[in-house]
Amino acid sequence: MKRWVPALVGLLMCLSFVAFSHGDELLQKALQEGKVVFYANITAVEPIMEAFYEKYGVVAEYTRISTSKYLPTVLTEFGAGKLLADVLQAPVPILEILKKQGVLAPYTSPVASAYPEWTMDPDGIIQIFGIEYVGIIYNKDVISPEEAPKRYQDLTDPKWYGKIVMPNPTSHATTISWLIGLKEKVFETEDEWWDFLQGLAANEPLFVKSFGPTPGPIETGERPIGISMPKYIITHAPAPLDWARLEQPLLGTPRGIALSSVAAHPNAAKLFIDYWLSEEAMKLLVTNVGEYVLYPGVYPPIEGIKDATVLPVRTLSEEELEYWAEKFREIFGG
Amino acid sequence: MRMSGLRPRISPLTFTFVLIVGCLTVGPVLMLILGSFSRGIGAFGVFTVEKYIRVYTDPSLPKILLNTAAFTVGSSLFATALALILAYLNVRTDIPLKGLFHLISITPMMIPHIVFATSWVLLLNPSNGILNLLLREVLGLKSSPFDIYSLGGMILVEGLLDLPIAYLIIAPAMASFDAALEEAAWVSGGSKFRALRRVTFPILRPAILASLALVIVRSLAAFAVPSVIGMPGRVYVLTTYIYRLISLGFMPDYGRAAAVGVSVLVTSTVLVYVYRRLTARSERYVTISARGYKPAIIGLGRWRYPLSFLTSLLFLVLIVIPVLVLLYVSLIPYVMPPSAKAFSMMTLKHWNYVLHDPLSLRALRNSVFLALVGATLGILLSTFVSYIIVRVKSAGSALLESLAFFSFSFPGLVIGIGFMWFFVRTPLYATIWALLIGYIATYLPYGIRPLTSTFIQISEDLEEASKVAGGGFLYTFRRIVVPLAIPGIVSGWILMASMFLRELSLSAVLSRPGTEVLAVQILRFADDSLWGQVSALGIVMIALSTTMVTLATLVGKHIGKSK
Repeated sequence: MKRWVPALVGLLMCLSFVAFSHGDELLQKALQEGKVVFYANITAVEPIMEAFYEKYGVVAEYTRISTSKYLPTVLTEFGAGKLLADVLQAPVPILEILKKQGVLAPYTSPVASAYPEWTMDPDGIIQIFGIEYVGIIYNKDVISPEEAPKRYQDLTDPKWYGKIVMPNPTSHATTISWLIGLKEKVFETEDEWWDFLQGLAANEPLFVKSFGPTPGPIETGERPIGISMPKYIITHAPAPLDWARLEQPLLGTPRGIALSSVAAHPNAAKLFIDYWLSEEAMKLLVTNVGEYVLYPGVYPPIEGIKDATVLPVRTLSEEELEYWAEKFREIFGG
Repeated sequence: MRMSGLRPRISPLTFTFVLIVGCLTVGPVLMLILGSFSRGIGAFGVFTVEKYIRVYTDPSLPKILLNTAAFTVGSSLFATALALILAYLNVRTDIPLKGLFHLISITPMMIPHIVFATSWVLLLNPSNGILNLLLREVLGLKSSPFDIYSLGGMILVEGLLDLPIAYLIIAPAMASFDAALEEAAWVSGGSKFRALRRVTFPILRPAILASLALVIVRSLAAFAVPSVIGMPGRVYVLTTYIYRLISLGFMPDYGRAAAVGVSVLVTSTVLVYVYRRLTARSERYVTISARGYKPAIIGLGRWRYPLSFLTSLLFLVLIVIPVLVLLYVSLIPYVMPPSAKAFSMMTLKHWNYVLHDPLSLRALRNSVFLALVGATLGILLSTFVSYIIVRVKSAGSALLESLAFFSFSFPGLVIGIGFMWFFVRTPLYATIWALLIGYIATYLPYGIRPLTSTFIQISEDLEEASKVAGGGFLYTFRRIVVPLAIPGIVSGWILMASMFLRELSLSAVLSRPGTEVLAVQILRFADDSLWGQVSALGIVMIALSTTMVTLATLVGKHIGKSK
């Protein structure tokens, strides 16, 4: 038995040398490329860009592109042979379209194995790292935790008449997908879901164009409760925001990251993806931005969020989105 | 020997400018029109009219069109009426505090529209709007007297936002007004009011029409007010309809949005044509001729102070308070109605953040560069173009006028994509020059409108005299035309520079690392509802604009005096 020990140690040393030299080689090449260009629709990720530069000496340039301009921009640049991005981050439905158009290249990061199996694309192209989780957020100066809803159905209580804010369900794709997610993953019967929609509409929620403007009216007390995102509790601190601890799961659109198939800085891009998916970067993301990430054991510093079940919603087709937008227009008006 | 009168052919001068302006404005619009007839979501695809059929057979469209008509015409009438009163008081009367009123009339132009609209929501929302709460308290009302989320609210805020456009078109026309005409009316026994109605307003007709047309075109393309105030009130107009088309689904079809934009473009082109027809006999409006002129100051007598007080009050409510709200929001940690708690929590953290944020600082530098260089180049081009539009009444100059409005008439949500489709085929893509060219191309009417209204009032006899005395075209242009048009040039420069400083529609699509601009930076904060940062940067923007406007006005006055 003893004579196996030196051989085992030797093998391990060999392996770690190969791994080290692989990492080192990637870093050397990335340093030669000098920078990586990152397109994303995620908020305030500058701290990650800075930490990446400090760690590796490679500059990460970040362009934030809103969801409605994401595909037109990337596809136009790609079509003209001028895609500037090396790494693309977006909601998974967008990345899936880009994947079909050949904009993305396969890359399996060594760090990806730490994530749950369902987050990995079978083609090795898109890596899901988080969920844009949606919840019921309220102003705790106006509403006590006891009064706050315990189930989604509680939002239909007439006591919330004229007090709710939410993104416009007749035009905002993420909100439509979320409502369909409730039907498919939360409500036991479709009738129950319809009753929820009717009750919500009867409470005349204030519509804003997307999730971005939802915390504003909650903070000011104009509409003290809303369908919004728990991450605002972090980004809007010290505003008196809290999230309703629901018995049911929270839902959201999965977020992914992928390598560009025409990356001008492919090695820096791979180094960046590895870093982005690392525990260190994910901790920065949850601490600074309050995002919900899928790296095991990393949670945003929001009380109670560790115990919540957060599930991804599925990607709706364009036809489904249009169909449901029309249905919601009938229910909510406008 | 007059240059006016219909000419059968396009002169080389007109042709050159048709070419320059055409190159600037047609490309992006053409791309969008191609996209509206193409299958798929790019500019080029298999021909189809399906997008037009879908958007124009939508059953919700008639109501949206009706709302749009009420919103644009309402805003236009409100802005123009307010501008007329203000310009008259400021330019033609001895009302005190003129400089202040002048500045206040153009302040809304310096504030990002989304910030101004949000400020009004904080003041007049029916749940806990600050002014509503105050009125409820004072008048003992049970419910809020005002609801900002209504068509009326939209018209109020859009009208105020467009007030500077109206003011900067009407004020120079007032300044170039020959008071001898009014004096003649008084001498003939008419009252001052009658003179105002029968002489002053008719002479100002081109400027009034220009203002009405320009505000309609601008509010047709506006998105901030319809989204921040209209959408919560379920009042949808064309731009929110376009937003629905592009935000519904992850594959936004800008071609379909462009199909809606085409009807906005057609409406605007018709408006420009109608305006041209209405001011065709421009000699009627000539007030500056070889006889010398002075815009005399009318004494308000005992009305001087009451009127001044009323105007101050109006502007305190309409403009000063919303700006103060901005200042307040920039100093509290999160947005809450004013209270002892709010004041005790006041902090400079948002200011510290934006003043130390390298991105915001770079955006500031880029925006100042674009405003100064862009407005100067833009006004140079506008001066020549306006001169041709007014003086050379040929088919070519009519074409030039329509072309100048091309990109401007397209809703902002869409035109940026048109520029992207256009620039990506050139080496300018992702550079600051793409922004510079795009800005000038899109906002050319801001330079052209005040200048054409001014040129219309300048008699051609002066130029003829110079030519008879041996002055060439450029000499006459430099020594006669430009000095007389200084009020218009200053107005145009101010409009362009302030617009470029807060430009968003194009920048949101074309800005990249290194070419960040202020408005995009503000949008990033606004998208996350970080109103403290938004307000702090908004105030920085107002301060910069105020400095530019003051300098431009002083330079204009200095040149005017030396003239």
